[in-house]
Amino acid sequence: MPAALAVATAAPLLEVQGLVKHLGGKLIVNGVDLACRAGEVIGLLGPNGAGKTTTLRMCYGFLRPEAGSIRIAGHDLATDGDRARRALGVCTQDDTFDTDFTVRGNLEQTARYYRPKIENLAARIDALLAQFGLTEYADQKPDRLSGGFKRRLMIARSVVHRPQVAFLDEPTTGLDPQARMAVWELVAQLRADGMAVVLTTHYMDEAERLSDRLVLLQDGKVRASGTTRALLGDVVGEHVVILAQTVPDAARAADWLRARGDAPTAVLSDWHVALDAAGLAAFVAAFSGLRYEVRPPNLDDLFLALEKEGRR
Amino acid sequence: MNAVRRIFGPALAWQSRAVLARHLRVHLRNWHTALVPPLAEPLVMLLAFGVGLGAQIGDLAWGGAPADYLPYLAPGILAYTVFMTAFFQSIFSAYMRMHFQKSWEGQLTTQVRLEHVVWAEMLWAATLATFYAVVVCLVLAGFGVAGALDLHWGWLPMAIPLLFLAAVAFASVGLFFTAILPSIDHMGLPFFLVILPIGFTSSTYFPLPAVPWLETLVLGNPLHHLAEGLRWLLLRGTPTPHLACAAALSVLFLLVLVPIDLRLLRKRVFGDA
Repeated sequence: MPAALAVATAAPLLEVQGLVKHLGGKLIVNGVDLACRAGEVIGLLGPNGAGKTTTLRMCYGFLRPEAGSIRIAGHDLATDGDRARRALGVCTQDDTFDTDFTVRGNLEQTARYYRPKIENLAARIDALLAQFGLTEYADQKPDRLSGGFKRRLMIARSVVHRPQVAFLDEPTTGLDPQARMAVWELVAQLRADGMAVVLTTHYMDEAERLSDRLVLLQDGKVRASGTTRALLGDVVGEHVVILAQTVPDAARAADWLRARGDAPTAVLSDWHVALDAAGLAAFVAAFSGLRYEVRPPNLDDLFLALEKEGRR
Repeated sequence: MNAVRRIFGPALAWQSRAVLARHLRVHLRNWHTALVPPLAEPLVMLLAFGVGLGAQIGDLAWGGAPADYLPYLAPGILAYTVFMTAFFQSIFSAYMRMHFQKSWEGQLTTQVRLEHVVWAEMLWAATLATFYAVVVCLVLAGFGVAGALDLHWGWLPMAIPLLFLAAVAFASVGLFFTAILPSIDHMGLPFFLVILPIGFTSSTYFPLPAVPWLETLVLGNPLHHLAEGLRWLLLRGTPTPHLACAAALSVLFLLVLVPIDLRLLRKRVFGDA
């Protein structure tokens, strides 16, 4: 069976239904559903305050949902918490390794927090150190590592017990491009190992490259989900026109777009506007002498579109 | 009954033992430096206050009979060591692990839950406090061997379980402050508002004056009962109701404070009540 088909037909390792959560009297998550299968990476996206972190924190047991259910590898997190937690791994946004232990010691110590105990632990840790490029730092304290290697340790620690579902909360925030790409490789390895991976990120290229499927949260609800292209098409549109505000006729073009109900968004010194095929054809016909750029929408446009929706 | 099991059950869970073992592992790595305070402090206190100040003030009137200051002080130091160690560990060290080291958060991403982390902190504080008390006992025994101190030594080992129970209770007080302190800058407040008043009204270092309101007040102070109970035990060889009061108050503190600590710490750590 082709790998993609196997992913599509396998039972989800993460099944989240109808999550609801208030924090500080405010409704933060309002009926979120999620599913992630073995060998699948889903990217959880949304503007600040959309409910991503709260959803994730409920999924790994930090917060108790007021309604809804979370099943990890078939175990209900509320009623069968120990088994559910044994099947999940968490890489938090902040570095939370134990600074009293070395890199190897952190992996050993984390392994001690799981039952049933991890078989052949020493061999497992050696393998993880090699897989994550940490062997030469094994006897160093983690606070002496560079940012990229700290994240490697965090991810290695989250999978020391061979979980079936991994949650990676902004795993590359603050890393330089080289370190980010190294983390991308590791995420790809987790997927290849058959893990279900849920990640949040603010980097649009990262979400696009790593995720098989994106889930877009807005105001505590799933606004849209699907492949990157499908999601962009649904929420943003087919084409994005970029028009420098300084070119002659730019103001007239912006007025024309507003009159059509496609108000452009100012991004630095440009106007950005998403148009469908018919809209683009009309624009081209109306402004044949105008210089502008047309490109496919990306996830930055998605966030601009959401922000625009929020202002309405 | 279910509520009691839910709150106290995690104390015995493997997750609590795993976290407790982590604290022990870290401590044993630094055992040689960690041993200096519990050895040096009672030694200094006994020499400075027991021998030095004791020579100045002579006998004390205690329990209807005169008593030398050094033997009067010895059980007080034992009780105060347990109190201070448990409180300091559960407020300062636990706060460091929770807030700065973020080792709590790391543990909580595993099969360990908050109730295990909290119980492990209390049990670790109590274990360390009891160990320090044993070191104090050895220092006292050294004074005994030197002929400077005469106590009913046979009671000392039997006091250890009570010292452990009291230390768990003191740790639950410390964790209450760990949960509510806005920042490390406020760490001095509980020491001034709690440690000093409890310490000064505890009969650890000096007999309390016979003031009716003070005598009523100290009835609720477990450190007072612990110090006085140990004193009757070690100086006169007599078990008194003070020991039962210390045990009962410790249990009461735990029954009241552990649920509150868990609730407050859940809010603090997870932002959720």
